[in-house]
Amino acid sequence: MTAADSPAPEFAARNAGILLRVQGLHKRFGGVHAVRDISFAIAEHAIFAVIGPNGAGKSTLLNLLSGIYRPDAGSIVLDGVDLTGLSAHRRVHHGIARTFQKIRLFRRLSAIENVVAGFHIHHDIPLWQYVVHGPAFRRNGGRCRDEAARLLDFVGLDRRAHIPAGSLSYGEQRMLEIARALATAPRLLMIDEPAAGLNAAEVEMLLDRIQTLRRSGITLCIVEHNMDLVMKIADRVLVIDYGQYLFEGAPAEVQAHAGVIDAYLGGQPQ
Amino acid sequence: MSSLKPTRPTPARIKSGSTWWRRTALLCVAGTIAVLPLVFTDAYWRTNLIICALNVMLALGLDFVLGYAGQLNLGQSAFYGLGAYVSTLLIMKLGIPFWIAFAGAIVFSCLAGIVLSLFAMRLRGHYLAIASLGFAVITYQILLNWISLTQGPLGIYAIAPPPALALPGLPTIDFHNLANLLYLVAGFASLSYLLLDQLIRSPIGETLTAIREDEVSAASLGINCGAWKVFAFGISSAVAGAAGCFYASFVGTLVPDAFFVTESFTILAMVVVGGMGTLIGPVCGAILLTVLPEFLRSIGDLRLVVYGVAVTLVVLFMPGGIVQAAQLASARLQRVALRGIVP
Repeated sequence: MTAADSPAPEFAARNAGILLRVQGLHKRFGGVHAVRDISFAIAEHAIFAVIGPNGAGKSTLLNLLSGIYRPDAGSIVLDGVDLTGLSAHRRVHHGIARTFQKIRLFRRLSAIENVVAGFHIHHDIPLWQYVVHGPAFRRNGGRCRDEAARLLDFVGLDRRAHIPAGSLSYGEQRMLEIARALATAPRLLMIDEPAAGLNAAEVEMLLDRIQTLRRSGITLCIVEHNMDLVMKIADRVLVIDYGQYLFEGAPAEVQAHAGVIDAYLGGQPQ
Repeated sequence: MSSLKPTRPTPARIKSGSTWWRRTALLCVAGTIAVLPLVFTDAYWRTNLIICALNVMLALGLDFVLGYAGQLNLGQSAFYGLGAYVSTLLIMKLGIPFWIAFAGAIVFSCLAGIVLSLFAMRLRGHYLAIASLGFAVITYQILLNWISLTQGPLGIYAIAPPPALALPGLPTIDFHNLANLLYLVAGFASLSYLLLDQLIRSPIGETLTAIREDEVSAASLGINCGAWKVFAFGISSAVAGAAGCFYASFVGTLVPDAFFVTESFTILAMVVVGGMGTLIGPVCGAILLTVLPEFLRSIGDLRLVVYGVAVTLVVLFMPGGIVQAAQLASARLQRVALRGIVP
């Protein structure tokens, strides 16, 4: 990674706008408080990372943001629109997309079909042309194929387009999930554990692609285990532990924070 | 995504089947249907062929909701029966013309499918299967016990075939003639195939498949899984309703037993044996499982055993059905051919 790729001042200047604001989020499963009173804000065009030890509630938080779970309390506001009560599929229309920690591709569909499925909310076909395929239908199909090919190219899967997703390597499946999520044309892309199971070369490529996405105007929220990766690319880091807010700050501040070190390395309870 | 890397040449196609190939296949099918009544001149085989065409419609409808949207619907016999009874009652009690009653049957079955799916929307897998099976049982019981309307087990008799078509410049097409009736039903079966094929090859195909493969993932792409399931159920039951209307006017008598829940399982077997998630599969399955029992008639009740064993073998050893078997066979043939060329 070069210096030009690291968070530059121009982004800091544009960071005035807040894209996502989360306030007082609570979620419990039976007696377990999976997420307890978490508040944060993600600036536009930022790379925001959520870290924490295993079982800290990171994935639950992501599921709350993407609408798979409904929060017991709190609010989620994306650019002035209250998403709290909206179902997962409605939130996609407002510009939220995500990938999954445990890969959830359509395994029997080819890579390119997976991406095309991601265009669901962007099809522009008059109703009758679904039955009698006309010019608008073909135009839409061509546009989807071009875009899908471009997205596959972007994640390095252009030569694997017609291979069933289930037959791709683990790293390729992770990248395909990102391509599929990008097909929804999101404003906020949330990536759950992107580096899990990737080799060093794949992680390098992932970092590069995430930077490119940010430059193209997409805000990213990354839930990650791998501290190195987070320190390299994130602008802001939220640390949670036992479902609770622990710390939020720039990567350097997080590394220096005693509580974070305790949570990760196991220290004296405070 | 304008700032992403430059575009490479687009992959040739997303789905198999070029337009040329499809047109040729369509012509072949039309030709075959045209020739069928000339080859099979006796009433027995013409009757069987019409039942084949009806079963093709039922299996296609079920495949749309089961093979594509992944929802195990065991209520197909009920939608079939509703189509038959609604059209017949509209014609016989209210004197409504056949083709309007036909449309009415389709709409009614479609609405019934939508209502069932609205209730069953939160269910999936076995639970949905049981709920839809319950719907089939309830519908059967209503047909059986609402005697003032359906005449219950006594049945409705003397149902007229579709009225003769008098197209200008052509001889009148009389549907008392089984050959003409076969053309009509086979024509509508082909029409159902074309309609479903068009839907499947549109983005709706990917949407439904996405729901089948993973609903959480589909929702994360903006797909409203509930609404699309309702859509799939509606289309599926509408096709079954159309088949029911033709069944009534073809057989001429209606008894509830024709729409007992076992019919749902027969249709399910057709879809599974043919190959779920393809449209050509259910067509093959429906034809095979309609014609096969007729060939086995000579061995009496033993034919049920043969039938059962055949279905079990397919499910155990060829879960992709006839379509999968054909694909494997063609791959093997290609290998054999290659070996012939390259020593």
